[in-house]
Formats: sequence, C-alpha cells, structure tokens
Amino acid sequence: MRALLRALLNSAGIKDVIEAGNGQMAIEMLRERKSDLVLSDLAMKPMDGLELTRYLRNSDNSPNPFVPIIMISGHTEKYRVEAARDAGVTEFLAKPITAHNLFARITEIIERPRAFVRCDSYFGPDRRRHQHDDYTGPWRRRDDFQDTEVR
Amino acid sequence: MAKPRKTPPVQIIAPDSYPQMLSKPRAARALHSLRAPETAAKAQAATEAAMPGMRAAILQYVQEMEQDRSDTARLFEAAHEIRGFAETAGMITTGRIAEVLCRYMDDLMRLGRPVDPTIVTLHVAAIARAARAEDDSVRAGQAVAAELAALVAKRLSENEPG
Repeated sequence: MRALLRALLNSAGIKDVIEAGNGQMAIEMLRERKSDLVLSDLAMKPMDGLELTRYLRNSDNSPNPFVPIIMISGHTEKYRVEAARDAGVTEFLAKPITAHNLFARITEIIERPRAFVRCDSYFGPDRRRHQHDDYTGPWRRRDDFQDTEVR
Repeated sequence: MAKPRKTPPVQIIAPDSYPQMLSKPRAARALHSLRAPETAAKAQAATEAAMPGMRAAILQYVQEMEQDRSDTARLFEAAHEIRGFAETAGMITTGRIAEVLCRYMDDLMRLGRPVDPTIVTLHVAAIARAARAEDDSVRAGQAVAAELAALVAKRLSENEPG
C-alpha cells in the first residue's frame, strides 16, 4: 500500500516522500524532518493511526500539532470514521485507494484549510464541515458563539 | 482591581493563524499539478504497475486465511487487508466478498458474540476462488458474493439484540 501511495504521489510531482512502518516510527521521522502532510493507515502496530493522530495533535512533544493528516482505512464503518474524526484527522480516505480520491483529499487540504478548534476535550481541525449562514433554527450547544474566541 | 479575563472554553484558530503546509506559490503549483490530465494518466500507469505486487500480496493473505481459520483477529486483519487492496488491484469480486466477511466479523465482535465457523469457511473459500480466478468478472463470482451477503445479513438479523 505504501508503494502504491508513493507512486501516486510521485505521479503528481510530490517526490519527497518518507515512509514509516508504524506510528512510533512516523513520530521519530517527523521530528527529524519537517513534513507538509501525513498519510496514515488506521491499522498499524504497535502504534495505530488513531494513536498517532492523538499524539501529533495533543502531545507537548508533537513535532507539528497542525500538520494535515489524511487517515486511510478499509474500516469504513461509521463509528470508526467518527473515531478518526474525533482523534483530529483532517481528511478520511476510504480504501480502495484511487488516484482521484487521494488527489481530491490533498486538493481539499490545500484549497480549503480548516480552522482548528481547541477545547477541553478536543484539539484538531474544526469537525463542522458546513457553515450555514442562513440557519434559522435553535443553537444546539448552550454556549454556541457566547464563549468562543476567534484568533 | 481588574477582573481576571475568562479563558474561553472554545478557541477557534483560523487557517491564517497557524502555519500552512505550502506557501501560496507552491500551493498554486501543487493544485495545477494535481488537476493536470497528464497527472491522471501518470497515476493510472502507476496504479497498473503496482497491480502485480498487490495481487501477490492478496494471494499471500488468502493463503494465511486458508491455513488458520481459528484465529479470529488475524482472520479479520487478513480479510480487512484484502478488502482494502482488492479493488485497486482489479479484483472486484474478491474485494466484495472480503467486504461482506469484514462487516459480518466486525458486527459480531462489537456485540461480543462468536463468529459462525461455517460462514467464515464459506467466505474464505469464496475469496480464495475469486482471487485465484484470472477473470475476476465471472458472473459466478458475482452470484457467490450476493449469496454470501444475503446469508450474512440473515445471520446478523438473527443476532440483533432484543
């Protein structure tokens, strides 16, 4: 799978690709080299993609808490996608991988970078995908827009 | 005495307030490249070049599944890998059957219930047959996939709580 991803990235002119066999190795490599983007499989051992994401987003020793993360997985059940989202991934890419889908996720990250949200229970890209300016219904959170600071 | 400023429970950090992955010129170049028709053609060629390796990997997983059907976790892992690879490798039916097996095992494991060895055996046999068939679009394979999906749906509905 890594070989395919590398080949697809190379075909788009992304030549500087480093590979890690698991989350722990990835963290060590990210400390050594500044990276623009992380593509991670969800199923890895000993540190899986969710643990890697949580570390990158939340650890005091994270090499880059804001790095875009695309989580790749064949586990497309809703609860797993939600777990990835709640860990702080930027995009989720379901297997089978196609060049079209991979490039669409990267394009999305470049074209529409997401705001980050920091609260007691979460740090990561804003999980709300759509801003409905004409929304007239009730706010769902008691403190919506009252205790929010925008930097 | 000034009142201490309340720390907001939610802080939103706008994209221009944190370092972006690419500078604007590099981002423009990257977008141009990602959308270029020649990139799509190169990616297609790269995918086709990777197919033999992916097929070999799938057959390796199939062999592992056939050798040991008692280790549910490993079986699930292998089925999951096959599901992830197969379609990209052009093995559509193999991927569909592996998908059904994954869904079945995942649902039962989440409920804390044991998997039915007969269902697993049937799926492993069907995956192996489809993976080893050169022509993956054979109608028989499609029919087997549909039958297995119906069988799994029936068994899962029998296992639903309440």
